[in-house]
Amino acid sequence: MNSLLVTGARSRVHIAQNRYRRMRRHPLGVRARLAALEAEVQENRRLNRRIAELTDVVAELLVPLADRDEKRVQEVLAAYRAGL
Amino acid sequence: MTQTAAPPVARVDDDGILLRRPGTEPLVLSFDGRYIWAFSPVRDGSVRGSGVMVEWPAVLRRFLTGPVRVTVASVGGARVLVDDEVVFGGAEGSGRSRVAVVDPQGLPLAIDKVGHLCRAFDATDEGIRAEILAGTKRALDDLNGACGVRAYLNYGALLGAVRDGAMIAHDSDTDVCYLSKHTSPADVIAESYRIERDLRRRGWTLLRMSGGDIKLLLPLSDGRQCHIDVFVAFRVGGTFYQLGNRSGRLWTSAILPLSTVVLHGFEFPAPADPEAMLAFVYGPTWRVPDPSFRYTDPVAGVRRLDGWLRGFRTDMPKWTEFYATGRAQRLRGSSTFARWVDRRIPPGEPVADIGCGVGRDALWFARKRGRPVRAYDFCRAARGGLGRMAARRRLPIDVGMLILNELRTVLLTGAELAREPHHLYARQLLGCLDDDARDNFWVLARMALRGGGSLFLEFSADPQLPAPAPAGLVRRLDADVVRREIEAAGGVVERVRIKPGVDILDEPDPAVCRMRVTWPRITAVPANGRNPS
Repeated sequence: MNSLLVTGARSRVHIAQNRYRRMRRHPLGVRARLAALEAEVQENRRLNRRIAELTDVVAELLVPLADRDEKRVQEVLAAYRAGL
Repeated sequence: MTQTAAPPVARVDDDGILLRRPGTEPLVLSFDGRYIWAFSPVRDGSVRGSGVMVEWPAVLRRFLTGPVRVTVASVGGARVLVDDEVVFGGAEGSGRSRVAVVDPQGLPLAIDKVGHLCRAFDATDEGIRAEILAGTKRALDDLNGACGVRAYLNYGALLGAVRDGAMIAHDSDTDVCYLSKHTSPADVIAESYRIERDLRRRGWTLLRMSGGDIKLLLPLSDGRQCHIDVFVAFRVGGTFYQLGNRSGRLWTSAILPLSTVVLHGFEFPAPADPEAMLAFVYGPTWRVPDPSFRYTDPVAGVRRLDGWLRGFRTDMPKWTEFYATGRAQRLRGSSTFARWVDRRIPPGEPVADIGCGVGRDALWFARKRGRPVRAYDFCRAARGGLGRMAARRRLPIDVGMLILNELRTVLLTGAELAREPHHLYARQLLGCLDDDARDNFWVLARMALRGGGSLFLEFSADPQLPAPAPAGLVRRLDADVVRREIEAAGGVVERVRIKPGVDILDEPDPAVCRMRVTWPRITAVPANGRNPS
């Protein structure tokens, strides 16, 4: 009986320790959450430039390159580089 | 240093200006009667005993050896705190010629409102000033005409025009803005790319400073270049943004329809309500001259603009400075890595040097090994030096811009190299890149090597060791992390070794990793799109 009680108590301690460790991994403080949120928002803001860059490459390069006319392709590549 | 007469309210020495009764008004520093710097003791100083010490700005320190007459006075000159002959640099300074804050051509410089050394308009002769104003007018005509946007004179030039009809004496450049009709930052950037191409077609040489800021380089007859900044203004979610870093409330009716202002006889397009624009930019006291003025932009607005528009040239000024130093310029002859790579690829096959720097290995591959070479770097100064050297020696080296934090140049370079296969050579490049740039580098390698060839990498390994030189610009990478990134991008690491070697400056480095990487040729996907089981 005693041994069952000890085992049960140990389990409860282990569960509590595990929950505490998990909680430590996920900071709950407002400041920590705010900092994480700001970092994630900034990461999303950076996508604007990536979208603009991809749009520019698709519009200026990809469509002309689909011509499969090698001379024209070389001209398009050279013109795009000159415009950067 | 020695000082001939100690003024009662201030003292000047090698450290800075010690003000015993500083007050709150801005002060102007002159050397031998010429304007050098305007500062605010409250903002720029620190408490020293019972006074305030304003230390010399870093950009000024290299000039401070020798005698000079130092004057510190209020903006109008009514209150003079210091007017003394001072000798900077102690005994060494006594024997030197007078302190002269000038550029290499001997032209006078002053510190501008963002802390850079520039040539101020009061040190610019009338003919040159007319060239700058004519160039600014041409830029505005091109923006309002061929580029199809609504552009206007702004900042110091607008302030001078409205206040006095003349340039502000301590200003150093002209700035123009255009109001974009787009309300999404991605569209604002795409529009800026289009404007950049339009301006190049109209003959302008320019630099891109951010997704919404282009710097036009206007050549002047005295051999210098004047910079004309072209800033975008736009509105997102009710907030008005205007580059540099301004953000807040300004109605569109304060900008459109455009009005005109006159500056030294030149007529320029201006915001509809120039006074409202100047109050937005400089605050309600804009009518009172303050050469020490500095912007106090909302932090949230700066953070948004940083996230939307910036991040691809963060380290560029530091690299430009590094390449200008004697240590970088003295790097000559091939590196040991170049010779290692040369032994592993067939004679005559072309090499693309990614992140070529001063180009020592690109030159060696072309000159000593007879290989066709393409050399890429993000630093304009490094590319310029290598291009001139290659042209002088008639070497087969194509030098091109590659900014690994800018996807446009990455995809373009990838498309070029996919058509004309080269082995890729990247010595001490990976450690200079942030995570985004490294991701783009793997995209570039995958595109360039899909038809064959190898990528050769050398980088400082073992992040537990001290960072290699140049300090603050290069970091060590874990070779296993690099391998996992390569494999995630579809590459195969064929050879890896970590041994003592040298860093960028040829200084001993205890852990240098070399890798040879290939990308398997692209094969057709089965018609049913499923993998064989």
